[in-house]
Amino acid sequence: MGKGLKIDRRRLLGLGLGAAAAATIAKPAIAQAPTLTVWSGYPEMEPFYRRVAEGLRGRVSGLTVNVQPIPLRQHEQRLALALPSGNAAEVIELGSSTATRYVEGGFMQKAPAAVTTAVRDASRYDPFFARSGSFEGSVYGMPLFRGQGALFYNAEMFTAAGLSGPPTTMAQYTEYAEKLTKRDGSGRPTVTGWSLRLGGGGQGIAEKFWINMHQYGGALVRQNAAGKWSSGYANEAGRRTLAQYLENVHTKRTCLIDSPADAEAFQRGQTAMFIRESWVIGDTAKKAPDLKYATAPLPVGTIVAPVFLYTPATGAKGDLAWQFAMASNEPENLVWLLDNVGWLPNRRDANYAPVIAKTPQLKAFVDMPQGHTLFELPAIGPVEEILTRLAERLVRAFANASLAGNTAGIDAMLREAAAETDQILRREGLYGA
Amino acid sequence: MLRRRLLVFALLALLPTLAVYAWVRIVPIGEVIWLSLHRWNLMSRNKPFIGLDNFVELTRDPLFLDAIVNTTVIAFGVVAVTVPLGLILAALIYHRTRARLAGFYETAVFLPHVVSLVPAAMAWKWIFDARLGPLNAALGWFGIEPQSWLFDPVLAVVCIIVLCSWQTLGFAVVIFIVGMKNVPHVLYEAARLDGATAIQAFRHVTVPMLRPIVLYVSVVTLVSGFNVYAQGFVMASDTQGAPGRLVRVLVLDMLENAFRNYRFGYAAAEAVVLLLVVLGLTLIQFGLLREKGGRS
Repeated sequence: MGKGLKIDRRRLLGLGLGAAAAATIAKPAIAQAPTLTVWSGYPEMEPFYRRVAEGLRGRVSGLTVNVQPIPLRQHEQRLALALPSGNAAEVIELGSSTATRYVEGGFMQKAPAAVTTAVRDASRYDPFFARSGSFEGSVYGMPLFRGQGALFYNAEMFTAAGLSGPPTTMAQYTEYAEKLTKRDGSGRPTVTGWSLRLGGGGQGIAEKFWINMHQYGGALVRQNAAGKWSSGYANEAGRRTLAQYLENVHTKRTCLIDSPADAEAFQRGQTAMFIRESWVIGDTAKKAPDLKYATAPLPVGTIVAPVFLYTPATGAKGDLAWQFAMASNEPENLVWLLDNVGWLPNRRDANYAPVIAKTPQLKAFVDMPQGHTLFELPAIGPVEEILTRLAERLVRAFANASLAGNTAGIDAMLREAAAETDQILRREGLYGA
Repeated sequence: MLRRRLLVFALLALLPTLAVYAWVRIVPIGEVIWLSLHRWNLMSRNKPFIGLDNFVELTRDPLFLDAIVNTTVIAFGVVAVTVPLGLILAALIYHRTRARLAGFYETAVFLPHVVSLVPAAMAWKWIFDARLGPLNAALGWFGIEPQSWLFDPVLAVVCIIVLCSWQTLGFAVVIFIVGMKNVPHVLYEAARLDGATAIQAFRHVTVPMLRPIVLYVSVVTLVSGFNVYAQGFVMASDTQGAPGRLVRVLVLDMLENAFRNYRFGYAAAEAVVLLLVVLGLTLIQFGLLREKGGRS
């Protein structure tokens, strides 16, 4: 019995050692199974990346793709920590204005020749995207989709108010807002005529202000011939924009500081019109499928926020990451993206016509009128700080009833804010009048 | 000789603990102080020493000044609500310990302390909602006009004080009850023999005897009040719908400067200011509440 036990122990030991050796030998084989992690700042993009991964699995056997989307601000924070420490995912989705500092800092990988050729192919992408995804003559980002603003309006409310179409001038925006506002007995709006971004914190407030100011020919920052920057809103365009906000909030009361706002209010029928990006279409299809609404281009032009796919400079899986980026840009995937998520793909040689025919609200985003101008956030380091600080001042100004109709007060507010913007640019060595 | 050996042994025994403490507590604080004297954007290999420039800039930064005022008001507001209210509730519960529902009272008061912050803040956001909130509906019964709780700059701060106090109160009550259980009964008996009423006994026996506990609760509450962030963020922010007014507090300003503006040296300077403020206030509290000739 004892001897048998001894043999058994030996056998057991031998088996254990054998298993350990086998595991050691097998380990490299397990490690070779390709895995890829995708970091996104838009949770609604998750099914798209899963679809791309599914398609790629047919070409890369055993591929596992982990899609990790989180809200944009947290996404930016994780990148701030992970990229410099070399711990970021292999595929990073990021807007070009935010990515610039990482590209300049050498944290992003240059695109290989095949990707560069594809991105520079004008039949595939507008040269605007090739420029936006490049640095010092090299392509770093694969264009994927873009955020772009347009007017969303409730068709039934427009008809009820006797309005036959969307406003085409900024003066009409206020005029229409007045007609569309529904009020209770005390005159307080129960349905706002025009939902403006008036609070909530963050740079979005300043971005929306910039979109409205663009219609008056203004810009938050301007670049001079020498490539330097300065504030561009303490002027007539800034004054007219802020005056319009204040007129709507305090004088005509078409939208109050505490009114329900944004896409949610639109989907619930609490506002008649507002300016937003194309993702609202996909969102509305899910949350308010019976809502009768239409879209229209803004009077002069709108903001474009292109989003690219990058891979970190330190990544050992660069080839696979670029393969994923290329696959995500295949026409059938992009058509699916437009149809199911609502973000606008940047590739122009795919056939989006069936989707647009099915969802006519997309037309305002792709068929822009002649002379419609686009602008994007400048690719400079302190852009977020400039926007956030201005947003803070704007929130106070929007709530300040004494500024309504007070040109001197508006000018003073804008001058003070512009001085702060210039100071930030000066600090970063970017200022030039 | 033996005493010296014992001393050496004690020091050696404490050394690993002290080393760990220094590594996780002292070194990071030192690094933050060192970083506050530099200009650094996290990505740059250059980290130039700029002396006190970050601190000088802070004195002129309207957002920082706004943040420090809001944070101070919130922190002291929470202490002002939590400590007296906690004492009163603790006294009421303590003197009903034999009641059938005593356990229920304790649990009910302590529950908010263990509830996850985000859903709690969302619930309070609904309570404070200008249009649909029950608070305005209740005020309406008394003929009071609806208030824009989350949009008015002053009321938004009040809302955060209410939320933070609601969360902290349970902790304070439990600690006060523990303290009350340790107050000798003979003191109450003596007070009763001297003709003291229940309120007089509370004022002249309970409160003085609980001084060290009050100190502990107020320091902990004040420090957590100065670290307020998520409460304001959740109640004000909303990607859609009806966002409120984002009350700028120190931690929010620090996070923005570090992770959005990539100004880590500047954010570190803010952290140093926060450290000094909390340290200073804690020392003042210790001084004010320390028992004469005894340990606090």
